[in-house]
Amino acid sequence: MTEETQPDGQGSFVVEEVNSIIKEAIEATLQTAAYQHSRVAQWTSGITEHCLKRLAGLHRPFKYIVTCIIMQKNGAGLHTASSCYWDNTSDGSCSYRWENKTMYCICSVFGCMI
Amino acid sequence: MHEVQEEASYHIRPNFKNKFRPVVVKKIIDSVLQEKLEGAVYDSDKISDYVSSITDQVKQKLKEETMDRYKFIVQVVIGEHRGAGFKMACRCFWDSDTDNYAQASYSNDTLFCTTT
Repeated sequence: MTEETQPDGQGSFVVEEVNSIIKEAIEATLQTAAYQHSRVAQWTSGITEHCLKRLAGLHRPFKYIVTCIIMQKNGAGLHTASSCYWDNTSDGSCSYRWENKTMYCICSVFGCMI
Repeated sequence: MHEVQEEASYHIRPNFKNKFRPVVVKKIIDSVLQEKLEGAVYDSDKISDYVSSITDQVKQKLKEETMDRYKFIVQVVIGEHRGAGFKMACRCFWDSDTDNYAQASYSNDTLFCTTT
């Protein structure tokens, strides 16, 4: 009797699909808006929740972490890095950068297989 | 005749002792940030080195803790203090019994740093 250690089909994190999900979430929420301090909180929550809903809707055996950073364009520098201790064959991450005239938006998704 | 008792050898949930403890992890992150960024000035050439070394050091310290079978994700964001507005949000889809997060920030005159 042979035992399978990995489920059929969805064996690992699919970067392209997640990338398109993030892109749609950002474009739907921010569209052509200009940076407004009063609305940023709403935007960041909206983008992360939209992404998470779509990711959960894929019905994959994954745990997800979605982070979203919105920064005003002011000449300031920003650096972000992440380090992950996981199983490289099944887990992965995806990062998408979007900008318009007044702000930058960086959204990252990390997925860990259960 | 001996009766063989079978014990579960595959644990799905961690023991109470091996659970992820946010308070302990926050202290680790605080100490790493304090050590690395004390008196640092934002310099666009060197900042990428800072960022990678902070993530690697935090991850290394987490591996030394007694949290078996956990996967870790460490994210570090360093920005320059130039009056720009900045907002960061995070949402997670996980098992809230076993999984958790810890977050710490450090700020000085020229830069701010957030680590999760």
